Amino acid sequence: MIAAVRPDSWNFPLFLHVLGATLLFGAILSAAILSLVAWRRPDARALGRATFFTLLIAALPAWVLMRAGAAWIYSKEGFSGNNDPTWIGVGFIAAEPGLLVILVATGVAFWWRRSNKPVAGHIVAVLSSLYVILLGVAWLAMSGKWG
Amino acid sequence: MTTAQWLLMFHITGAFFLIGGSVAAGVFNTFSRTTDDPGEIAMFLRMIRLTVPLIGLGALLTLVFGLWLVHEDDYAFFSFWVIAALVLWVLMNALGSAGGRHQERARKLAEKLAASGEASNDELRAILRDPRGNALSWLAGLATLLLLIDMIWKPGA
Repeated sequence: MIAAVRPDSWNFPLFLHVLGATLLFGAILSAAILSLVAWRRPDARALGRATFFTLLIAALPAWVLMRAGAAWIYSKEGFSGNNDPTWIGVGFIAAEPGLLVILVATGVAFWWRRSNKPVAGHIVAVLSSLYVILLGVAWLAMSGKWG
Repeated sequence: MTTAQWLLMFHITGAFFLIGGSVAAGVFNTFSRTTDDPGEIAMFLRMIRLTVPLIGLGALLTLVFGLWLVHEDDYAFFSFWVIAALVLWVLMNALGSAGGRHQERARKLAEKLAASGEASNDELRAILRDPRGNALSWLAGLATLLLLIDMIWKPGA
């Protein structure tokens, strides 16, 4: 049984990790929808502003929460980096490069907000859509314990 | 992968759809209240409709695969955490639907004003800032958070 194999002391870090991951998915999904809608409505300046603030105020803190929870439970579960299971590796692939994607997308969204150039919105749409897919792969791998 | 791992994967996928879709709906609802332009208000509130199928699918997946997991892992169906989860699931859906109806009312009025080229009026501002309507959405979010806590700690399991 799941409860029987997970000590109680793992619950809080797991909660932080799952909460951060689900909030991160929601924030990135919001940024993707906002920037994809802007593709069809390049005149709507409010979309650039909303995307920038969504990435800055929601996605970045959610990433920190997800990553901090992950680091905490990783140490509690006794993984060392040697022969870690596949699902842990997939999680790292989604986490570390993911921060870079969020930072670049936030920077481009800031440029979009200031300049209202459609190409900036297109870049944010591509980056955030790709990251939504990567997060999907990560949660499938981690919840299904691949490998 | 074991049967339980498959079920957990679909159950958690449902949770991501449900919470992620709700967060996105909350983001769009929040931005609809940061502008006074009926066209922009309507645009943000229309985006909430894009999240509804995701939230609905997520709610369904969490329930079906959650109950299947309870059976597969030999948990008691009448233990506290399972009953609490079902009550919170119903509450979350009821509160979310009521909040959604409130946002739909605001969207329709904003679209009407935008179509006729009118500026925002007191009626639209009153709907958008109605504390009851916003409280419904926040309470749905609180029920979702409690559901996540219940899933992880499983009190009474």
